[in-house]
Amino acid sequence: MGIPAAPIVTIAFKDLAQTNCAKRGMPLQRISYTPHPVWGKTDEQMYAYLDGNDPVHNIPLMKEIVDSLTRPLTADESKTGTVTPPVGAPSFTDTADNLQQYFLDNGMTDTMPIIIPTQEKVDAMLKGTSHKPDEVVGKMTPAQGAFPAWSFTVQQCAVNAVMAGATPDYFPTILAIASTGISALFSSTNSLVSAAVINGPIRDKLAMNYGIGAMGPFNQPNATIGRAWTLMSRNLDGGGICGETYMGSQGNVINYSNLIIPENEKDSPWPPFHVQKGFKPEENVISFFFGFCITQGQGGKGLGVKPVPLYNVAMSANCSPFASLFGALFLLDPLVANGLGDLGFKTKDSVVDWLQKNTTVVVKDVKSMLFSGLPRGPEAAGLTDDSVIPKWQKSDAFNLVVVGGQTNPYHQLANMSYRVSVSIDKWI
Amino acid sequence: MGMNRRKLLSLIGMSPAILAGATAEAQSKAKNKNGRSGSAAEVKLTALNPRGIPPPITLIPMAPRLATLDGKTVYLVSDGFPGADHFLDQIANWFKKNMPNVTTVYRLKAGGFADDDPKLNAEIKEKGQAVIMAIGH
Repeated sequence: MGIPAAPIVTIAFKDLAQTNCAKRGMPLQRISYTPHPVWGKTDEQMYAYLDGNDPVHNIPLMKEIVDSLTRPLTADESKTGTVTPPVGAPSFTDTADNLQQYFLDNGMTDTMPIIIPTQEKVDAMLKGTSHKPDEVVGKMTPAQGAFPAWSFTVQQCAVNAVMAGATPDYFPTILAIASTGISALFSSTNSLVSAAVINGPIRDKLAMNYGIGAMGPFNQPNATIGRAWTLMSRNLDGGGICGETYMGSQGNVINYSNLIIPENEKDSPWPPFHVQKGFKPEENVISFFFGFCITQGQGGKGLGVKPVPLYNVAMSANCSPFASLFGALFLLDPLVANGLGDLGFKTKDSVVDWLQKNTTVVVKDVKSMLFSGLPRGPEAAGLTDDSVIPKWQKSDAFNLVVVGGQTNPYHQLANMSYRVSVSIDKWI
Repeated sequence: MGMNRRKLLSLIGMSPAILAGATAEAQSKAKNKNGRSGSAAEVKLTALNPRGIPPPITLIPMAPRLATLDGKTVYLVSDGFPGADHFLDQIANWFKKNMPNVTTVYRLKAGGFADDDPKLNAEIKEKGQAVIMAIGH
């Protein structure tokens, strides 16, 4: 733009701001800092920040800001040219123990021990796909727009797949994940999580678990495909560096291996999820979700209604703590899915239609959430504080997937939105 | 390139081991936090690097600075995070009290925090001489 600018950032984001400026070609940007947070402070408290010192540079904040706009540039601040960030040598040689330590110390793991990615193991993994090792699979970034995306090859994905403990037959699914460029370690302060629903014959071919304990630590492909996603999200894009490229305030245990959900197609009363998205039943497809969290299981017992519990009512009630920034992904045991059918819901659409109409909020309770940052308030939309409106304005915010082993009529609810579905077959 | 490469790379966020990293040897200097050792008798393995390929970084020179803010128009730009608007209000108040010859104009940038706002940029270029931008919360 050619106009001098003075960025101000709260001290909690110091490393992020400095790193981001460097990655965008302005490593010496004159950044000023305030105490953290600004959000929720009174005007007087904010003014006191301005009257006080920058907590990083320990000089009066406003003097620093004025100075950064008026002090002549140094030679380094005017530099042009290019730099290529180093990522280390192509390989590392040492004992197994020391390699484990080296990978850990350099932030290349999820802090758990890894399978050491020797050339032999990586070559074996590469046999799981017809794609060439040097083919570029895609680009990934910890946050779109905030960090430049890194590119990566089939071989680099294979290295991460080996580290995760995957076997070559899992590799096409891992490549399909990588090809989307979706990082499982999104940089946001919100400690977000990722999920992937797997459909098609590959679920049985890999012996994935979609029955009892499907989302627990009981099945190698479920677990290692998810772990590979996290490792790729650290290594293929420079993500997952706490304070720099990962800012989740509390973090989330789901980030270890993500939610990998093979759908229980055979016990579902409905067409599989990927067929909803336009794929054929015999195609192998992975579908991605992204959002805040997942609830504890909600059982059908105790609903107090006979002969069939009102599963739809329980599902809607379970939405109550969720904000509408992300959607509602219901993970239904087949008992619940079939129970909904007994209640008269013969299609997924009929369930979604009921949920959207009956999952409501009162405008005054959510006013700031729904309308903050928008140019027009609820009044402009013809609403009053007492208006009752759907919590989610669009029906596509609701998604239903069937998973589980029918030992109890449970559902779990993830406050997550659908992103995209991609072919696994393309990567075989 | 004349720039201090180590300083730049450190700002880019690379670890010291990787800064050192032209070597192909992980080295037996790895910390023995877990009682692990690097006995010469042990078999050595070669592990492949799992990292992707970062794009080259083009250095962008900073815009020339002003001699003074007196008589100038400074845009106060929010990226939309909660509280940034109130915080920038207080900066406007500070200028009124301490540098009354400075004119301030508040604007909310369009899009997400990392998105460009060409319309606002054009307005600032036409009507302003400096920007103070509040980023984050």
